[in-house]
Amino acid sequence: MRSRTPLLALLAIGIGLAAAPVAFQMFSRAPLGGEMITEFAPFMRAEKLDAFEGHLTRVGSALEALRRRGEGLDHPMVAPLAQEWQAIDADMTSMLDDIRDNIDNYDAVAALPPFPLFPWFFVTPGLLLAGLAGAALRRRDAGLAIEPRLRYATVALGLGLVAAPFIFSMFTRAPLGGDMISDFKPLMTEQRIRTVQGYFLTIGAAEGALRTEVAPALDPDGPRVPEVYEFIGKWPAMAAEMAPMIGAMSDNRDNFDAVAAMPPFGLFPWFFVIPGLLTAGLAIGINEPGASRKPEPDSRPQPEPNPRDTPRSETV
Amino acid sequence: MKIRLSLVALMLVTAACSGGGDDEGDSADVGPLEGTFSVVAGTCAADGTRTGSFFRMVNPGGTLEEGPFVANGDSTCADKTFSPLLPGTDGGLTTTTYQPQPDPAFADNGSGLAALITQPTPFFGVAFALATNPTDPQTGTEVSPPRIVADEQGGLSGDLSALGVAWNQQHFNQGSPKPDGSRPGATAGPVGTYDRATGAYTLTWSTQIVGGPFNDFTGIWHFEGVFAPAAA
Repeated sequence: MRSRTPLLALLAIGIGLAAAPVAFQMFSRAPLGGEMITEFAPFMRAEKLDAFEGHLTRVGSALEALRRRGEGLDHPMVAPLAQEWQAIDADMTSMLDDIRDNIDNYDAVAALPPFPLFPWFFVTPGLLLAGLAGAALRRRDAGLAIEPRLRYATVALGLGLVAAPFIFSMFTRAPLGGDMISDFKPLMTEQRIRTVQGYFLTIGAAEGALRTEVAPALDPDGPRVPEVYEFIGKWPAMAAEMAPMIGAMSDNRDNFDAVAAMPPFGLFPWFFVIPGLLTAGLAIGINEPGASRKPEPDSRPQPEPNPRDTPRSETV
Repeated sequence: MKIRLSLVALMLVTAACSGGGDDEGDSADVGPLEGTFSVVAGTCAADGTRTGSFFRMVNPGGTLEEGPFVANGDSTCADKTFSPLLPGTDGGLTTTTYQPQPDPAFADNGSGLAALITQPTPFFGVAFALATNPTDPQTGTEVSPPRIVADEQGGLSGDLSALGVAWNQQHFNQGSPKPDGSRPGATAGPVGTYDRATGAYTLTWSTQIVGGPFNDFTGIWHFEGVFAPAAA
């Protein structure tokens, strides 16, 4: 009975590994995480964030120039921007800072194996382990020796599980992914995305009014408020960068929620190391080949030998 | 129930834009109108009155009648929440075939280039372009060409799921129903009127944007003009 226990434990570990992705809904969630990583890629670059900050600076400069002149800010489509600009600028700058702070974290996550493969990293070794343990159990129950290759394969599988997080640098990368998820959580809410959508509309509406009405009225003979024309001139670029970013945030809210609902990233390496160590240890502890054929030592008192049983030749 | 309310709202919007429309609900269909619904240019008079074809966008959580509506700084109207539409090179919307976007679909500045149904319309400094494609560019779903059906009372209904807009390097389905047949949010219509004698028509539909930077905003489209049947 004692010799079956390690095999049953190995079988349980194998089934547990194989079932973990189902329990954590990894088959549906992990690909969504992969989509998110892909769609965030264009925005997780320092130069892109520099460009965004440049746009914000241009908007602020244009408003400041108009404020100095005391004109234009009372236009009904410019006034909301002028009134809200400080808050918009502070909020957008804070958001860009959060994104910038997570560039390294993002890169670490993006360098992990593709998200859709994640569940298979559990299922494949889990099924292999369950198969090996099942085969060993069948031999044990049939009174046969456990072949060395079964033990070696099981030990190798355990060591492979232990090695995987090191090979993929999971101990350093996975916690960074956890940090990113934590930092982005406040950004990826419906309310927050609505707010940023509103900023885009407020800035865009003001730009349209400045371009079509305010600036021509202020400067009938040419651009004497260069800051305003700088803003107008760069608006298409700003719109081309800001709209897709808002789109990426909006389109990936569900994806983000799916990733955030998975077990904490920092635990992932241990999901391999712990079952790996257990597997290797249990496999090493399995009885030596042929052990099951050895008769158990009989502790009962043995009868005295009967002289009649003595071989005749010895009595002669 | 939600669809019925949206339809009622759309009737009110249609009435506000064009002087009213008939209920599509109880009348027997006469049949599909195959040809081109010409788009009469939208115009805004100094006194605030509007004629012709327009686009409007409702903020998330708003209503078709009350808004709040998105103000487009590029609109030529005093009320910037109305963006006038101008007829494209085909003169309007065709129901006999697709009017697909060109390749490439966008100019360097992100403006849409499709110009068959309507001319590209400036919107937040970048023009949006309307097209009907066999495969909806946003969702990748295969869709039928536009279908507009008239009933005996002169009401219009139909399927505009193939309509999409290209703006700022992005695609937004603007049909009703959506390519998958659903009607999310305030998506409703098309509804409208059709004068069999003169060919004059109005057509209005609303369509919630699903995905992208304007996720959950609702576009309201109002076409009016004259229907010209396709040559037999």
